[in-house]
Amino acid sequence: MAKLILLWLKCIILYNAVDAVFEDQVGKFDWRQQYVGKVRFSHFDTHVQSSKKVLVATENNVFAALNTRTGELFWRHVDKSGPEGNIDALLHHGQDAILVVGNGRLLRSWDVNVGGLNWEIVLDSGSFQKACLVGQQGTVKHVAVLKKNIISLHYLSNGHQKWIENLPDSETVDYQTVYSGGNGEVYALGIVPHSHIVIIAYSTDDGEIIKQISVEAPWLSNIVASCAVIGQGVLICVDSATPSLYMYNLNPNMDDLQMTQIPLQSLGLEVAPDFQPVLVSHQPNSAHQPLSEFFLQLGPDNFLLLQFNNGQIVTLRDFKPALLVSFATTGEKTIAAVMSPKNKTASSINLFSAETGRRLLDTTLIFVMDPNGGKPEKIYIQPFLKKDDSVGYRAMVQTEDHTLTFIQQPGRVMWTREEALSDVVTMEMVDLPLTGTQAELEGEFGKKAAIQDGLMSMVFKRLSSQLILLQAWISHLWKLFYDARKPRSQVKNEVTIENLSRDEFNLQKMMVMVTASGKLFGIDSKTGSILWRHYLNDVPSNAAFKLMVQRTTAHFPHPPQCTLLIKDKDTGLTTLHVFNPIFGKKSHVTPPALPQPILQSLLLPLMDQDYAKVLLLVDDQYKVSAFPSTKNVLQQLQEMASSIFFYLVDSSQGRLSGYRLRTDLSTEQIWEVVIPMEIQRIVSVKGKRPNEHVHSQGRVMGDRSVLYKYLNPNLLAVVTESTDTHQERSFVGIILIDGVTGRIIHEAVQRKARGPVHIVHSENWVVYEYWSTKSRRNEFSVIELYEGMELYNSTVFSSLDRPHAPQVLQQSYIFPSAISTMEATLTEKGITSRHLLIGLPSGGILSLPKMFLDPRRPEIVSEQSREENLIPYAPELMIRTEWFINYNQSISRVQGIHTSPSGLESTCLVVAYGLDIYQTRVYPSKQFDVLKDDYDYMLISSVLLALFFATMISKRLAEVKLLNRAWR
Amino acid sequence: MWHRERIPLLLAFVQSVLVVGWCFTEMEAGPGAAMSTQTNGDRFKIEGRAIVPGVKTQDWVSTARVLVDGEEHVGFLRTDGSFAVNDVPSGSYVVEVVTPTYRFEAVRVDITSKGKMRARLVNYIKTSEVIRQPYPLQIRSSGPHSYFMKRETWGWTDFLMNPMVMMMVLPLLIIVLLPKVVNTNDPEMRKEMEQSMNMLNPNPELPDVSELMTKLFSGSKGSSKAGSSSKGTRPAAKRRFH
Repeated sequence: MAKLILLWLKCIILYNAVDAVFEDQVGKFDWRQQYVGKVRFSHFDTHVQSSKKVLVATENNVFAALNTRTGELFWRHVDKSGPEGNIDALLHHGQDAILVVGNGRLLRSWDVNVGGLNWEIVLDSGSFQKACLVGQQGTVKHVAVLKKNIISLHYLSNGHQKWIENLPDSETVDYQTVYSGGNGEVYALGIVPHSHIVIIAYSTDDGEIIKQISVEAPWLSNIVASCAVIGQGVLICVDSATPSLYMYNLNPNMDDLQMTQIPLQSLGLEVAPDFQPVLVSHQPNSAHQPLSEFFLQLGPDNFLLLQFNNGQIVTLRDFKPALLVSFATTGEKTIAAVMSPKNKTASSINLFSAETGRRLLDTTLIFVMDPNGGKPEKIYIQPFLKKDDSVGYRAMVQTEDHTLTFIQQPGRVMWTREEALSDVVTMEMVDLPLTGTQAELEGEFGKKAAIQDGLMSMVFKRLSSQLILLQAWISHLWKLFYDARKPRSQVKNEVTIENLSRDEFNLQKMMVMVTASGKLFGIDSKTGSILWRHYLNDVPSNAAFKLMVQRTTAHFPHPPQCTLLIKDKDTGLTTLHVFNPIFGKKSHVTPPALPQPILQSLLLPLMDQDYAKVLLLVDDQYKVSAFPSTKNVLQQLQEMASSIFFYLVDSSQGRLSGYRLRTDLSTEQIWEVVIPMEIQRIVSVKGKRPNEHVHSQGRVMGDRSVLYKYLNPNLLAVVTESTDTHQERSFVGIILIDGVTGRIIHEAVQRKARGPVHIVHSENWVVYEYWSTKSRRNEFSVIELYEGMELYNSTVFSSLDRPHAPQVLQQSYIFPSAISTMEATLTEKGITSRHLLIGLPSGGILSLPKMFLDPRRPEIVSEQSREENLIPYAPELMIRTEWFINYNQSISRVQGIHTSPSGLESTCLVVAYGLDIYQTRVYPSKQFDVLKDDYDYMLISSVLLALFFATMISKRLAEVKLLNRAWR
Repeated sequence: MWHRERIPLLLAFVQSVLVVGWCFTEMEAGPGAAMSTQTNGDRFKIEGRAIVPGVKTQDWVSTARVLVDGEEHVGFLRTDGSFAVNDVPSGSYVVEVVTPTYRFEAVRVDITSKGKMRARLVNYIKTSEVIRQPYPLQIRSSGPHSYFMKRETWGWTDFLMNPMVMMMVLPLLIIVLLPKVVNTNDPEMRKEMEQSMNMLNPNPELPDVSELMTKLFSGSKGSSKAGSSSKGTRPAAKRRFH
């Protein structure tokens, strides 16, 4: 019976805690953008003439098909991240796409139409070099895979291995590439650097070696970089030292032992100084030989179209200046596309006949370069035959900032994809500025205005501002009326930077996103449209970023200001980029030059006279510099210095140290905690979010007493993992340290556990998740800190004056899934109950009420615990799909979840980013401060009307009755 | 003294995640059935098939993935719904088929160091409990995911069946209908009703609360006890009080 009651209780509580999405809310407050990452290989699907697919394989281990008309995804397959899912090669034949994955670990074939897997096989171990399709008698049936020491041939239809051969002398010879000209032979080309080239011809049928030859080439060090195969199987190499071209005929009937040398001077060509020339050849169909025409790049902006003809090399055309070149084939025609710069902001793409080098008429396409973007890196051409047999084309241009732009003649941009957004590193949400009218109203109550102006002018001002408001309201009404008459599809609510303004409840914000490529974006949180972009082209590839909002939009007329700290992880050298988060423009404020590596940065709550928060930077000499560093700031810093503390973590030494600021902006160390490196290492250090508010100081217990929370703003949660990874001895440790005094508040160890540990630290609690090696499951643990029944000092919290250690409660739970990331919801005043947002590998984002992670959950239900609404303890936490805030809009590889308060206490804005970006709103305690969107206006108004009429009628009836009584 | 310290993220800090390969020790004699296990070093292959009843595989396989222990190993579905996750070392894994539309149960697969396999139900609480599942895996979808809540719709029946409404409507009916049904002019009936009224007021001798209060406030002045029936007291008391 007790069990039944328990169950019933649980049901009730669960029902109350559910805050799912309603079906009609789909897409109302939320949006998702899907990305693939920086494109490494790309092929247009030419299998069917009318095909709209372009296949892309990216550096994020994603293989996808994009719609060439819209740029949207047809399908996408996300493999494991890291080197094991790395895509080494993409070959495309008909309906099949062949991928080599994970340094030659797997060979996969995909059906391009459906997006399903045809087959997948495991390749023999060995480092992957090159793969190519092998054709015979006009049809392609095999794929050859060359590894460091073996070559194997597989059937395209099922992946089965036809033959596998060990490469001779693979210890000394570096086999680099494989080639097939469609005549029944597969050539493996290897090199002994600065000595000779090894050429082995295998028979396609049985893997028998037909011919093995070594050719002198003492000038050559790398085949892939400086050689290509052209025409009827002629290996052509370029040497920059001589400078000359070398040729060798691979045909087994020829028995030369020397390469033919053709000095470039004899062709009248010259290599640009310090430039390694590059050859570009093209094989339109793997069953046939490559073209005898090829490109030779002689300088950064100089390409030549050359032709190999009967042992002679003929220059067809010299392209200078040219940025990029590409070959493409449609039907029987092969064309060469050349992109050449036109002016500073635009380039033009032209087509040339590959055979003759003649320019094709009406094939100019203008590519306008974004001044806030990068330079073009690659072009992919999709040619097609028009009705009159002339060649038309579309081009996909990839730029340095990972953007894909798809253009149609004569330069119309069909779509762009900002693939930099597939790798967001950090982000902030910034309030939008007030509109002109709102600002006007604010200005009326400006600081000086009230004193200077007299009474009359003030009245006049007030009246005029009211008038402006009225005018704005009328124009808004007019717009509503005007839009209502138009059909719904035509109404466009385009958001531009100009008409951006804060809404009533501050629900619409500017998302400032920083990507790993160094491109910054400003995205409107309501629609997801990119409002500004800015590419920083001098960002090191291994940079760490930290984004700080120094001035919000609240200080009109001062513009808002964000500072991005970019740090080179190797050298520690740091640069600052200061910009306006609303417009994306670089600020005129010049950031300080930082010659020393920076160890730590902290944003103080101090403000200078222009309301910019002060940023302190600590360098490796423990000297502190401030930005902005005006006299006013330095004076404030001197006054405040005794109460400014900071900490440093050196995870390589296992050392945590605390420092205090001196008035002369030098520092002194006040505490140090050393975690022995031999046993455990520091994995992460988490503080609390500075913009977090806690509304209630304590919890009311069942007996009406109050349990006060231990709310230490300086508390740090340090996570350690054991260096011993054996499953019996590994452990995860958590240490709570006061960041000012270095006092260890609490220490907990989870035995037989290992990382990765995900942690959320907020209010008076720490929630962390780890892998239990003993039970092979993921577990959650929660630590809550309480001061007890009495508060030591209820007005302020000081780390230096807190004699009593807090009470610590802890409880653990089983979680039935791995997790990718975790964050807690955040609201304006902290009244709303908290939820944990958990990103799962399946792509869902689970909103788990913090109520379930409460160490006071009782094992036995008592009257008091029921009074407190505590849920009885259950070891397993549930994953309910109703709690997924993103319903079926799954997000691949969630890396971070950003929560931000809105103007409504009930509402928290959530942005999840990873490969995709998803924005939504959550209501952890439901929408208690605003009418729900399904509020039944009809019902309430009909009830009111009915009541009104009922009173009218009953009044009348009463009158009649009174009259009747009076007559009686 | 009020000490405040910002808690910034440490930039110098690089979080490296060590992926730990661990040995699998707990293993009883594996299933007898022969598996088509392709050995590659000490790496094995988890095979199976996912079925969504009544839906063509082409319609859902492009959005599906097979996850082994989170994203530790990833597999994809073939166009016929079958899958194979290659290159898995021996150990115990939770295998799940993930699609945004359909729900599949997770299965635990144990692989011995010799490559013998078995599949069993996932039980996170009793981790050693073995309830066998077929291997190669046969994972049947139990239907589409339910992501949405039903909106509460407003209907007359809901309104009428509401306990508050019932509580209001029933007495109303009694008040309105009872005088019509019962003839109040009948003297016998009236007598009976008065009796029942007296029954409701069990002890007429006991002073009721309002009376007590009246006495208290009116002080020594009020020794007047109006009427023996409590029915009359209340209005009287009130009158005096105001």
